[in-house]
Amino acid sequence: MARAFKSTPRGFTARLDSTERDLLRGLFQDVAQVLASGDNPGHDGGAPAGEVDPLWALVGMDPRTHAPGFAAPTDAAERRLLPDAVRGDADAALEYRRLTETSLREAKTGNLKAAALALETGNLVLDTAAARQFAQALNDVRLVLAERLDLRDEADAERIGSMTDARKVEDVDEYLALVYNFVTWLQETLMQALLGDL
Amino acid sequence: MTTATDVLPRGETSQRQDLDIPYVLLVWNDPVNLMSYVSYVFRSHFGYSRAKADALMMEVHQNGHSVVSTGSLEQIEADVAAMHTYGLWATFQRADQG
Repeated sequence: MARAFKSTPRGFTARLDSTERDLLRGLFQDVAQVLASGDNPGHDGGAPAGEVDPLWALVGMDPRTHAPGFAAPTDAAERRLLPDAVRGDADAALEYRRLTETSLREAKTGNLKAAALALETGNLVLDTAAARQFAQALNDVRLVLAERLDLRDEADAERIGSMTDARKVEDVDEYLALVYNFVTWLQETLMQALLGDL
Repeated sequence: MTTATDVLPRGETSQRQDLDIPYVLLVWNDPVNLMSYVSYVFRSHFGYSRAKADALMMEVHQNGHSVVSTGSLEQIEADVAAMHTYGLWATFQRADQG
């Protein structure tokens, strides 16, 4: 049974049992998978993911985002992780996306990998930077789960939030809601610990 | 040898005035991001006081959005990237728009 995050002289600590750690690790991997470019045809400029021409890399650009067919992600969860930066101007939003999307994917994937590594042990001890990465990873997990659960407004949030009893779970959506609420609880305890330390 | 023709004609510099126009960063409400998380991001990224961060967070929550930062295009674009890394729903626009 999980024990909440708290701020201690050693850092931000929490305790998670192996089932909870396996669950979280799986979720971090799922979200990293959503972010892995190349499986989205809209982003495939020819080069496989991870093989960026060194010259492009040198100038911090990705040829895939500068290819003619480049477009915003069509998958709703992926789009929630990588939102438009300009409202009501698709051209401006796409231009910003060309310049920033690759580094945003990398930053999020880095957070998710760091968070997964922190789960190697049941007794988590995180410094502020690692705690912040963990919070970002938990948040991205919640964004993806919320998209899968079709969570659109406060009423949806309330309905999903009421699903906290594992014995009442009857279908996949209810299981996802239970998982969502666990991740929400864990993130909330981490945020209270981080806020208390500011 | 450098000659006078290396100097930009006067007309070509005029469009650079765009850089002087302030831009704003807006954060939009969504039912997923925790209030504590949004407040933490505003405090840790922008260095806002607890009172200011909480007021902005409540404005996002109640009005649907809030102007969280104002600055040059370059600065606001970087702030938007940071907000997206945190998973907040942020956009930017010229301060004199909408």
